[in-house]
Amino acid sequence: MIVPNSLSRSLLTAVCLIAASSAAFCQQDPLTSSSHQSVLKTQAVEYLYPEQVSVPAGKTSPVTLHFRIQQNLHINSHAPRSEYLIPTVFSVPETSGVKLADATYPPGADFTLPADPDQKLSVYTGDFTIQAKIVSTPGNHLVEAKLRYQACDQTQCLPPKTIIVPIDVIGK
Amino acid sequence: MKRNTIVIGITFLVLATFAWAGWANWMYRKQAAARALASASNAELVPAAGDVPAGASLTGKPAPNFTLEDLSGNKVSLSSYKGKPLLINFWATWCGPCKIETPWLVELQNEYGPKGFQIIGISSEGNDLKPDDKEGWAHDKAAIAKFVKQEHMQYPVLINGDSLATEYGGLDAMPTSVYVDKDGKVVAMQLGISSKEDMEDHIRKAMGEGQ
Repeated sequence: MIVPNSLSRSLLTAVCLIAASSAAFCQQDPLTSSSHQSVLKTQAVEYLYPEQVSVPAGKTSPVTLHFRIQQNLHINSHAPRSEYLIPTVFSVPETSGVKLADATYPPGADFTLPADPDQKLSVYTGDFTIQAKIVSTPGNHLVEAKLRYQACDQTQCLPPKTIIVPIDVIGK
Repeated sequence: MKRNTIVIGITFLVLATFAWAGWANWMYRKQAAARALASASNAELVPAAGDVPAGASLTGKPAPNFTLEDLSGNKVSLSSYKGKPLLINFWATWCGPCKIETPWLVELQNEYGPKGFQIIGISSEGNDLKPDDKEGWAHDKAAIAKFVKQEHMQYPVLINGDSLATEYGGLDAMPTSVYVDKDGKVVAMQLGISSKEDMEDHIRKAMGEGQ
């Protein structure tokens, strides 16, 4: 098989073009991409840690996720007492290489609004943790898990929101 | 031939290396950005309940016109209530404080309705449904209809209040109440709940009483 010199030159040109476009792609700031625009508004809940976990590949492994709720706000627990209220739910995208086998949520605390002292709500306030059990395939997975919640203060509520929970999962 | 095979092999190796490096760099930068956003939660963007801050308030201005659908699919415009004092109440099924004030609204409509006053409830579920998401809208409508029935809301209830966010000061929190006089001018705007008495005061103001 003889590859003419012109083909070799073409291949080298292709390499250069791809290198240039790759560099340009890497310069694009993810913060400006449209998928993150909405996150720039209020966040009632902050993901604290862990940023990275190392787990045995293929085995169910526990991971404790720590979150913080802004002062003076509360969010519904995973099991709110009304069908209309939106529960707090943690999820992991199916395509991330990491599967969420189970998630254990803390029990909600009783909370009453001043305007209706007889109605008890089940909520989280301050710091809370979710005990997740994950199964990772071998390798390094940059997982963008999600937490959906709906926050209120004592007189008003913010729309439901989903935040990204970024975790670097290393399956060994 | 051997030389050319080596050239092709090296070329593909370089291509693969660049592709991998580009992807890995992008993913790490994307995750770093997500982390930065996740930790940027200090902003206090929830205004305290009560009168809307001056910059976002419509008080003193004409109430922006709108046309929305009710639960039966009929189109309803604000302009069709011309000449009536109104309370435009933005609410959501997931909003606990909205549920608390709903019985007050029902009572106030019963009391002041015969005098020409009208409440318009506008559901604002805040879930960014696309216009062609039939399943999503059907689910929303079913939940709203159930809530309306349970709470005996006898006044008109419209849907997709989120589409009015820009015109109505952002609608960042529920409930948001806008009181309009018979000339179509906003006389008060309130975020969150306070009390039935406060709402009644605003209604009387919208009706031109007690000024």
